[in-house]
Amino acid sequence: MSTPLEIIRKKRAEAINRIISKGYLSSKRVYVGMATCEIAAGSKDVMEVFQEAIRSGLSDVYLSQKGCAGRCNLEPTVEVVEEGKIPLKYGLVTKEKAKEIIERHLKKGEVIKEWLIK
Amino acid sequence: MPVRFNITLCDGPSCIHKRSKEVVSTIEGELEKHGLTGKVGINLSGCLGMCSKGPVMIINPGYTIYGAFAEEDIPEIIQQHIMKKKPVTRFIIDEDHLYNRFFRVFGDVNFFGKQMRIALRNCGIIDPENIDDYISLRGYEALAKALTDMSPGKVIAEIKKSGLRGRGGAGFPTGIKWELTAKEENDEKYVICNADEGDPGAFMDRSAIEGDPHTIVEGMLIAGFAIGAKKGIVYIRAEYPLAVKRIKKAIADAGREGFLGDNILGSNFNFDIEVRLGAGAFVCGEETALMLSIEGHRGMPRPRPPFPSVSGLFGKPTLINNVETWANIPVIILDGADWFSSLGTEKSKGTKVFALAGKVKNTGLVEVPMGTTLRQIIYNIGGGIPGDKKFKAVQTGGPSGGCLSEEYLDTKIDYESLAKAGSIMGSGGMIIIDEDSCMVNIAKFFLEFTQNESCGKCTPCREGTKRMLEILTRITEGKGAEGDIDKLQRLGNMIKKASLCGLGQSAPNPVLSTIKNFRAEYEEHVFNKRCRAGVCQHLLVYEITDKCVGCSVCKKACSVGAISGAPKARHVIDINKCIKCGACFKVCKFNAIRKS
Repeated sequence: MSTPLEIIRKKRAEAINRIISKGYLSSKRVYVGMATCEIAAGSKDVMEVFQEAIRSGLSDVYLSQKGCAGRCNLEPTVEVVEEGKIPLKYGLVTKEKAKEIIERHLKKGEVIKEWLIK
Repeated sequence: MPVRFNITLCDGPSCIHKRSKEVVSTIEGELEKHGLTGKVGINLSGCLGMCSKGPVMIINPGYTIYGAFAEEDIPEIIQQHIMKKKPVTRFIIDEDHLYNRFFRVFGDVNFFGKQMRIALRNCGIIDPENIDDYISLRGYEALAKALTDMSPGKVIAEIKKSGLRGRGGAGFPTGIKWELTAKEENDEKYVICNADEGDPGAFMDRSAIEGDPHTIVEGMLIAGFAIGAKKGIVYIRAEYPLAVKRIKKAIADAGREGFLGDNILGSNFNFDIEVRLGAGAFVCGEETALMLSIEGHRGMPRPRPPFPSVSGLFGKPTLINNVETWANIPVIILDGADWFSSLGTEKSKGTKVFALAGKVKNTGLVEVPMGTTLRQIIYNIGGGIPGDKKFKAVQTGGPSGGCLSEEYLDTKIDYESLAKAGSIMGSGGMIIIDEDSCMVNIAKFFLEFTQNESCGKCTPCREGTKRMLEILTRITEGKGAEGDIDKLQRLGNMIKKASLCGLGQSAPNPVLSTIKNFRAEYEEHVFNKRCRAGVCQHLLVYEITDKCVGCSVCKKACSVGAISGAPKARHVIDINKCIKCGACFKVCKFNAIRKS
């Protein structure tokens, strides 16, 4: 009989595997804030832009929603995380900005400095 | 190109003592020597909770934590880690606390780097609707630890030892509450999560549930195990549809994974959670009213004792805690009470979440260790007052709290010091007020809220707040009379003493604290019929100055015909006709209308 701690360790390994199978190890991970406050600021539209990009062929990108980190006046926020680099946080992202983030940052690796939260 | 490395240096009191300031200049000097200035970011954080190993710094990416190094060791760390990418192992401290993860992502941003996230550790990090995300970050491990290695008594002892106090506002020691409920012998006990967040401008609980619902579920499970309850209820207001959706999904997912239901994780512990929606009455955040509301009755407080721990929901022993309190539980179990109680002040341990709002540059959610000063929150994290305006007051604790003036800015945040200063910790609303706001009007706003939300059961609250509001309204309309301020104070103190529940006992606070700290403003309203902030409409006087070119735009905008004057000549306002609507002020392109 395994103890609860042994069970949870097994469950964690399974959970991590499931996350990885969804593409977590892609070279870039994109997180879009999707709490009530972020949605009110327009993050649903932003999310759709990223989803659409992935549907139409953007590859090697892991897309996920997340809760509110608490930077209210800069919402919607989008994080681009790359292993081994400092995660980049974009603030006040609109549909148009999201498209540019996809074209310039995700596809060409160009960081759009002026939109970063500092 | 953004910086390639980022150094976060702990600037908590203990690390300052260990010369963190000197460490910064040594680092800067070393970077300059190697031409790395500007390529490596440096920022100072609040206490990182590793005081015994100070000075502490974190180098990102990679989240390498260095501690207990001397200033002479800095050149080596910079040369090895930053230039050759070889971490210096002998100074690395391996302390994987749950909150660390937040700073891997957000630590380099000033607003976040100065915070410390325990309750909100996963908010903005994980997908709240994916239980795998939570499990992968040691989710439900605290529950498993309690079930495997701890007896119920040991769990309670740990919570007691941590010094955690209720985050809903009153600050009752959580461990004692658990112990009292555990002591009762009854087959049926309840665990309730109070998510009826109602303070205007507060959104801590909503964000916590929307960002990380599983931590609430896990906290409640641990309590259920500790006190011997089988049933949990989350009482949440229906105005938070997304939070409701996410907590419901979390409960369903947790059930599927075997964290809820019978024989949880192979043990003989059974527990279930259901969600009850509140209709949004402020008084239902009060525990006895909340429980009546769950039972299907009208939400009204009742006298205590008996306390809920003895006779609560359906007359059974009930443990009721606030959302933020629940979010702290898994951390205390996993990281230990000793670590948790090393944070904060003597009587208030851990961190507190605040919803920073109002006239401050960076608004948002802030979680800081207890003992942080108001000034640090408003200026270091909040970035100060926008538009070079002058700070006037900070309002803490929502409609139950008070307004503190500039002299209280260095007050350390904990339950006792805020109470001593004349406000309260409350659930965590923090509204910054600048010189453009009228304190009488602010007090009136909060009193209007509590007066509306008074359930009407006891006379002091029902009648008293109404009378106070009448006096305040009179004052803001320029009809204040001598003695009004004293009347407000007398009534206020009476309501505080005589009311049945926390709503009435705290409702006069905004008025009493503004009278205490801003009496001169009240006197100006009453005796000089003047509002220095220009907010109270009835006290304003509009005048046309000699900047007027006679364009007559204001004349057309005035709906009561109070403005007269020939074209191209200076116009005048008839103050007897003027209703002080401000329409002329808004349309004038020449800045010729003066409001005073």
